Amino acid sequence: MTKVDIQDKILAILTEDFEFEKPGLDDNLRDDHGFDSIDAIELLGKIELTILGFSLTREEKEKAMGIRTINDIVAYIEDIKHSRSK
Amino acid sequence: MCSNMATEKQDPGHIAPQGFTDRALDSAVTLTCWVWFIFGFLFFFSWAYLAAAVLAKNPEIHFQRLNYHFFRIFFRVVSTTAPRQKFHIDDKIAAIRSSVVVCNHLSYLDPLLLIALFPRQKTIVKPRFFGTPIFGWMIKKSGYLPASSEGHFSRMMIEQMETMGSYLKAGGNLFIFPEGTRSRDGKIGNLNRGALKIARMCKTPLYVLQLHNTDKLFTPGKFLFNSRIHNDISIKIIDHINPDYRYNPPSTTQLEQQVRQAFSANQM
Repeated sequence: MTKVDIQDKILAILTEDFEFEKPGLDDNLRDDHGFDSIDAIELLGKIELTILGFSLTREEKEKAMGIRTINDIVAYIEDIKHSRSK
Repeated sequence: MCSNMATEKQDPGHIAPQGFTDRALDSAVTLTCWVWFIFGFLFFFSWAYLAAAVLAKNPEIHFQRLNYHFFRIFFRVVSTTAPRQKFHIDDKIAAIRSSVVVCNHLSYLDPLLLIALFPRQKTIVKPRFFGTPIFGWMIKKSGYLPASSEGHFSRMMIEQMETMGSYLKAGGNLFIFPEGTRSRDGKIGNLNRGALKIARMCKTPLYVLQLHNTDKLFTPGKFLFNSRIHNDISIKIIDHINPDYRYNPPSTTQLEQQVRQAFSANQM
C-alpha cells in the first residue's frame, strides 16, 4: 500500500466513521474536528483491521496518542509498517 | 439506599429559619459524613481493599463492589443524620447492566450516588485525582478512566479502553456526566461526546438518567451539607437508547441529539 493509498483510506475512515467534514491533511485533529483520545483508540482499531492487518502493541498505541494531524497518522502507519518489516 | 420514601407536605427546598442550631446541625451532619469517610474507610474497609489488591485475581471487580458498599453505607449515614433529605430512586436503575449511563451533574454527591447504585461501575475521573494519595490508588485499582490521555495517562486510557468492551459485556456499567462539570443553574450544558463514542464503539445501550436536588444538599462552593431544608433528591431513567448497531448504527451526533432531547424534554 502506497502513502497515497494510506492517506485515502484514512480520509475515508475519518469522513465516514468520525463525521469529519472536508478534512485537511494538516488540520489539528483535536481543535478542528473534536477528535479526542477515545476517537484515537477507535481509529487505531480500524487501522489494525483495514490497513495493517495485524495488532498493534501497547507501546505502538501509546506513540499514536501524540498524533495531531492526518499527515502524522500517515507517517505513523508508514513507520509501523517499516519497523515491522525489518 | 432509600427508595420511594414517604413524601412530605412541605415544598422541596423550603429553607427553615437559619440560626445557631441550624448551623450546628449542618456541621454535625457534615462531620458525621466525614467521620464515616475517614474512619469507616480506615477501620472497616481499608483491610478489605488491601486484601483485594494483594490476593484477588481480578482486584478491579472487588474494588468496585467495595466502593458500592462503602457509598451505600455513606448514604444511609446521610439519610439517618439528615432525615429531611428524602431519596427517591427509580427501582429500575439498580437493574441496569452492560450499559453506558449518562446523567446530569449537580453536585459532588452525584458520582457517589451512582457508585452506590451499581455494584459494577466505572467512570471517568479528572486526572488530578489519580495523583492523590490512597484515593488515586483506589480509583486506579477500580478501573476508572482518566479524563486525559496526556503523558502517563495514555497507557492507563489504552489499557482501560482495551478491556471496556468485555467489561460492559460482562454486566458492568460505565457512568459518565457528559457535561463534565457541575451545573450551577440546573440547565444542561455542553455535552462531552466521550460517553457516546464509547457506547458506539462497544455497541452498548445507553441510559439517560436525571438527578434532582443533590445540589440543594451539597451546594457547589459550600463546605457544609445543607441538611436543614426539606429536600427530595430523586434520580430517574428518562431515556433508554438501544440502537441497532448491526443494521443501522447511529453516528455520535445522532446519539448526542437523542441524549440532549431527553434532557431537554425533562428540564425542570
